[in-house]
Parts: sequence; structure tokens; C-alpha cells
Amino acid sequence: MDIFHNNPMLAGVRQMLGAFAKQQIRPIADQHDRDESMPWDLMKMAQGFGMTQTAVVDGRKALTGKDEEGDAAKPKSQARIGCAGSEELAYGCAGICLAIGGSGLAASPVARMGTEEQQQEFRRLLKGDDDHGHIKVAAMALSEPSTGSDISGLSTVARPDGDHFVINGHKQWITNGASASVYVVWANTDPSAGRAGVRGFIVARGTPGLVPGRKETKLGIRASETAQVHFEDCRVHKDMLLGGGATSEGLSDTKKMLDSTRPMVGAQAVGIARAAFDYLVERVQGGTMQGTPLAHHQRVAFELAEMEMEIQAARALVHKAAWMADHNMDNVRMASMAKAYGAKVAQDVTSRALTLLGEEALESGHPVEKWYRDAKIYDIFEGTGQIQRRIIARSIFGVNPT
Amino acid sequence: MDFALDDEQTLIAQTVRRFVDKDVRAWAADADRAGAAPPRLTAVAGDLGFFLDAVPEASGGMLDGPYSHLRRAVRGHELGRGCAGMAALLETNVEPALAVGRWGSAAAAEALFGSLSAGGLATTARDSRGTLDISRDADGLRVTGKLGPVPALGTARHVLLMARCGDEPVLALIDTAGGRRAPFVPSGWRAAAWGTLTLEAASVPAAMILARGPAAADATAEVLTWYKVSLAARAAGVAVSAMEHARKYADERVQFGRPIGHFESLIRLRDDADTGAAAVRLMALHAAWQADRVKDDSTRAAAHDAASRARVMAGDVVDRATVDAVQILGGYGFVNDYPVEKLMRDARAFAQLLGDERFDRILAVRAQQGA
Ligand SMILES: Cc1cc2nc3c(=O)[nH]c(=O)nc-3n(C[C@H](O)[C@H](O)[C@H](O)COP(=O)(O)OP(=O)(O)OC[C@H]3O[C@@H](n4cnc5c(N)ncnc54)[C@H](O)[C@@H]3O)c2cc1C
Repeated sequence: MDIFHNNPMLAGVRQMLGAFAKQQIRPIADQHDRDESMPWDLMKMAQGFGMTQTAVVDGRKALTGKDEEGDAAKPKSQARIGCAGSEELAYGCAGICLAIGGSGLAASPVARMGTEEQQQEFRRLLKGDDDHGHIKVAAMALSEPSTGSDISGLSTVARPDGDHFVINGHKQWITNGASASVYVVWANTDPSAGRAGVRGFIVARGTPGLVPGRKETKLGIRASETAQVHFEDCRVHKDMLLGGGATSEGLSDTKKMLDSTRPMVGAQAVGIARAAFDYLVERVQGGTMQGTPLAHHQRVAFELAEMEMEIQAARALVHKAAWMADHNMDNVRMASMAKAYGAKVAQDVTSRALTLLGEEALESGHPVEKWYRDAKIYDIFEGTGQIQRRIIARSIFGVNPT
Repeated sequence: MDFALDDEQTLIAQTVRRFVDKDVRAWAADADRAGAAPPRLTAVAGDLGFFLDAVPEASGGMLDGPYSHLRRAVRGHELGRGCAGMAALLETNVEPALAVGRWGSAAAAEALFGSLSAGGLATTARDSRGTLDISRDADGLRVTGKLGPVPALGTARHVLLMARCGDEPVLALIDTAGGRRAPFVPSGWRAAAWGTLTLEAASVPAAMILARGPAAADATAEVLTWYKVSLAARAAGVAVSAMEHARKYADERVQFGRPIGHFESLIRLRDDADTGAAAVRLMALHAAWQADRVKDDSTRAAAHDAASRARVMAGDVVDRATVDAVQILGGYGFVNDYPVEKLMRDARAFAQLLGDERFDRILAVRAQQGA
């Protein structure tokens, strides 16, 4: 397993994005957390560095310089690169990492299920700047006000009407929901068929009936926008039905799409934990308690030892899940473990770091306080902690995990 | 042994609960967003006897006879159910008032009680890491360094300070006019008018030193006992509140064809939180009961130990309960329209104020060992 060796490609990604996180992301993280604003300038800069909004569709060619599509059986490096990179960006700021990579959620079903024309259209819709001079971003709209974990309960409907589908429904907590230039929306084309009728559509901003809604004020990851999106008699041409309908497996494809991003989400959580850990180590090295260096107290030193064990264990799970994906192995159980354990470690490490830091870290926007707030989302989105455990448990008992 | 509240305690619990359900909960979200308590709080809570309940009657307050920490814990638990930030403001005068009433000079009593009777606030700070620079100055002290951040210091006129001058513990009343006060924007308890106070060779006259040496060590143990009991009681209230919201939501929210509250893993989260909250409440009440009965070194040590244990548990339980309440609400838990993300932020101060309780407990054992 190459994570234990010096894989030059992964080391390169780590180094490049690690430096980007420290030099570009960290200095502005607090401001965007306070303002609850997207870091548009930085996103543009990241785009220039190859972190494009269409990277997933492009097969990460921009980052690696290599086109990895083609021979499906050959091992790839995409998943591992994605994890190494995500950890580094989230080490800088998880909210900004999600702002930079948020479009990937929409790009991933397009890459997985979209036809060549649809992929081209998706790329076209994300070219250039939007009306505000910002880079264009995409949103993936699956969740609804009353449907989060149980996506078979979707109530958004896409009614066929000649060459079009007419979409009606409300989407909730959509990343980039207010600002996106293109949406991938999931709707039921045949409610009588239940979950089998669920399909994805590419919908361009400005399409009549597509109404970006209210932006949420959140506990954490405030640099990443979350908003409602409404569809009111929104007419979408049937060409924009992902995969042309015939080849799509509908909802099960949606679930596979989430499986494929899970290790990366776990990697982001590891990045947060590592950020808090490094911060604490630095403070401990400079600090004293009643005249004795903090590091001489086992109360503190052993906490750090414990955190380091947890972080390393979480990272090993993340990389194993990614390595399996890159080697075309079924990684559903491992991906869920990586995501759920990463979330747990990020929450544990930030919480314990806060307790050790005491009063100073009660300040709103103190780095560790912010990371503590950011960490919580990793147990909620992309499948809650309970849903991950449900997948793991089902897989243990040999039941189809998703 | 009798675990029932007496008539007076029951009346207090009911009165504060009504106040919390009618006013405090209604104000909590706005106060959190604004970072300030509503101006009405002072008048309404004042009518209910807050702010002056630990000031002797003879000095313009309402305390006639011994103070009851048990009653305070009962009301603190109810206040915690409402809003941790407002609760901190309503409880802030108690330690300074009791300490000055017990150990203060006539001058200290006049200064503090005069200010409190006129509607002023006081607060409590502790130099838990020993970073203040304190030296003797004739009979008084000179203090350099930063106090806080602690609640109410943004507006308080006086701070009850627990610190050390060299090897000697001291307990002193600091006039904030002698330093630079700065507001502090906290993550939680945002209604509590937080602040810091920077002192530069500020002089603390002898009359404002409540105790020093071994007497100060004893007095500090008592002040910390009061404070930690109150913290623990309020924390249990916050945990209860988190689970009230979670239970209501879990009963209504349906996923996979049934209320999410029927899933065993969520029942377990709620049950653990309820168990923890019940344990902390009892520990806080028991520690309060002991605090009311301190009469010598051994009862003082026992009360402090009980309060410290209550607060260790309180910090863990309220953190877990509020994080799990957010979890139970899922995506809604993460957004500010619902009350639980505030509770998660509010939980942190219970473990972080006045230093790390686990560290305190370890250092206490090492001191006994002569290390
Ligand atoms: C900041 C943010 C960004 C998001 N971005 C997007 C996005 O871009 N696109 C998108 O489509 N969605 C997005 N979401 C939505 C997210 O995926 C959902 O919030 C998540 O799936 C949980 O769904 P829910 O909130 O409806 O919670 P629910 O499904 O209602 O769950 C509530 C609670 O019940 C538990 N639960 C549910 N079912 C079970 C079970 N079977 N067993 C045990 N426990 C169970 C859950 O774990 C949770 O604790 C985002 C959410 C947030 C907060």
C-alpha cells in the first residue's frame, strides 16, 4: 500500500496544497467565517492552480497532467489524490475547502452518468465568470426539507411533457445553492415507480422556474454557502436528463456517487483534526502551568499522544478506502468507516483541544473554536454518522449496504 | 436522606421555570445573535430577586441569614434550560457578594454593595495558570496582566480575583476602573457581556484584599465550590434543554417510514444525555448541600471535591448532549433557525471557564502528595 511509502505524486499534492492552505487559505479563513461569505478571489486563484470546478469531470487531468480515463481495469490515483488534497485544503479551512471543491458534488454524477454531450454542456456552463465577476460554480440538489437520509422519499417531481420535463419541488441545504451557475437536481420522473423513478437533471441558472432561495446561517463551514433551491414549473429539455434516462440506474447511481466521495469527506475531517492538533502542540510548547512547562504534564502530553493515534488511524482508513477505489475494489464499507471515523476524530480532537486551551479558546473565531464548529458537519452531510454505521453494519451481515 | 425539594425550593423552581418558559426562551435566539441580553432582562429578573440575592439586607440587598447554595443550584438548573448566557449574567454577582460579605473589610463591602445596590455588576476571575504578575506593595498588591475573558466583565465594576502573589494565594476585590476593560466576543453565552481587564501595575489597597496566605487558600476553595456548583447546575439545565428540543424533533421527523425517534441509535443518544443530565443535576445539588454545611477544613475540602467532580461531569455531559442534539436534528441542527446549534456553542464554557477541571483535580492530588 503506497501510503506507507513515499509516493511522489501524493507527496507532491500534499506539498503543493499544504503550502496553498498555509499561505493562502489560513490568513483569510477567520474573515470568511465571520462574514459567512464565499472566498471568491481565492476560488479564482485556486482555479488558476488547477483546482477547477470541473476537475471531477475532467478526470483531474488538470492536477495530475495525466488523463486517467480509459482502461477501467487499470489502477488509478484519483481517489488518493483527492484525499491527500482534501486533507490539506481542510487543514487550511474546511469551509474554504468546500467552497473550492463544492462543485465536485455536482460534477461527480455528471462524470459518472452524463453523456459526452452532457459533460460538455456542464463544462460550458461553468466557463468564464458570472455576473458578479466570480468564477462559476455548480450545485448538487438532492436533499429536501423532509428528505435527507432517506432519499427514496424525494418529493420533487419531473413530469414528462413532450421534449421537456417540468420540475416542481423544494431542495434544502444545497451547497452553492444561491450562487450556482448550474444545478444537478434529482427528481422523480415516475412517482408511481417509487425510488426507481428518480433521475438527475442538469439545469442552468436562469432557467425559468429555477429559484435560488434563502441562504442559511450556520454553525460552521461558513465560507461554504448553503441555501434552499426551489423549482416552480421549471421546464428542462430531455437532453439534460443525466445519462439520457435509458442508461441511468437512477437512485442507486446517486448512492454510488456518494460512496465515491466519502473517503474525501473523511480526509477533510482528518485535516481539521490535524489543524487543531498542530495548534495545540505549538501552544503547549510555549505554555506553562504554575511555572512548569505544559509538555511536562501528562495531563496534556498524553492527550496529545491520544489525538495523534486517532488522527493517524483515521487517515489510514481514509487512504485504505481511497486505495481500494483506485484499485477498482468495492470499498463501500471502508469508505463509510473512513467518513464516520474521520468525523468522530475531528470532533473529539477539537473538543479536547478546546478544553485544554481553556478561556482563550472561548472567543468566537479562535482557530480551534472555529474548527470545533466546522467539524460537526462531517457527522451530518454526505450521509450522517448513523447512516454510515447502518451501511457498515449491513455490510458486516452481508446485506446490500446501500 | 430526603431527595425531595422542600416547599421553598419547589416554589423557586416553579417561579424560575415560568420566567424561563415565558421570557428567557423567547429572548434567547435574539440575544445570541445580538451578542447582548435584552434590556428588559434586568428589570424582570431584578423583580424576581436576582442580582441582589447574595447582598446582605443591611447593605441594600436581600440576604437575611445564611445563603443557600442548594436553592441557587435549583434555580441555576432552571436557568440553564433557558439560556446559558443570560443565566451567567443573572448569577454573576453571587460569588463577589458572598466573598466580600464573608471576608471583606468595611471598605470593600461599601464599595461592592454600593455598586451592586445601584444596579452594577461584579464578576469572578481566576488566574488558573499563574500568568499574572503580582507583587507586594506596602500592605497592598500590584497587579499586572490580563483578567478574563469572563462573563459580565464587559460591564462589571468589580472583579473578585483568585490568584497567587509568589507562593501566597490571594483573594482580592479589583476595581475595574483601575485597568483597561475590553469587550470580548465569545462563541457561546453571547448574552453575558463578556470582557477582559488589562491591569498595568494596578494597585490593590490592603482593604480590598479579602484574604491572603492559608486563609486565602481556604476562601478560594469555597468560592470555587460555589462557582462550580452553579456551573454544574446550569450545565445540567442546558443538557436538559438540548434533549427537550431533540425529543420533540425526533417525535415529528419521519425518515424511512417512521419517526427518527424510534431508531435505537437515537434512543441511545437521548438516553445517555438524559442519564448524564440527571447525574450532573444530582451531583450539583449534593455539592450545593455540602457547600451549605461547610464548617471546618474537612467539610470545606469535601464540598470543594464534590463541586469539582460535578463540574468535570457537567463539562462532559453538556458537551455530549448538545452535540448529540445537533446530530438528532441533522441538517436542521446545523443551521441557526433551530435552537440547538446555539446550545452546542453554549456548552463549551462549562468546561473551559476558570481553567481545566481535570488539571485542577490532578494538581490537587499532587499537592497532597507534596509534589
Ligand atoms: C452545510 C450542509 C451542506 C449540505 N450540502 C448538501 C448538498 O450540496 N446537496 C444536498 O443534496 N444535500 C446537502 N446537505 C443535506 C445533507 O446531506 C442532509 O442534511 C443529511 O443527509 C441528513 O439529512 P437530514 O438533515 O434530513 O436529517 P435526517 O435524515 O432527518 O436525520 C435526522 C437524524 O436521524 C438520524 N437517522 C435517520 N435515519 C436513521 C436510521 N435509519 N437509523 C438511525 N438514525 C437515523 C440521522 O442520522 C440524524 O441524526 C447539506 C447539509 C448541510 C447541513
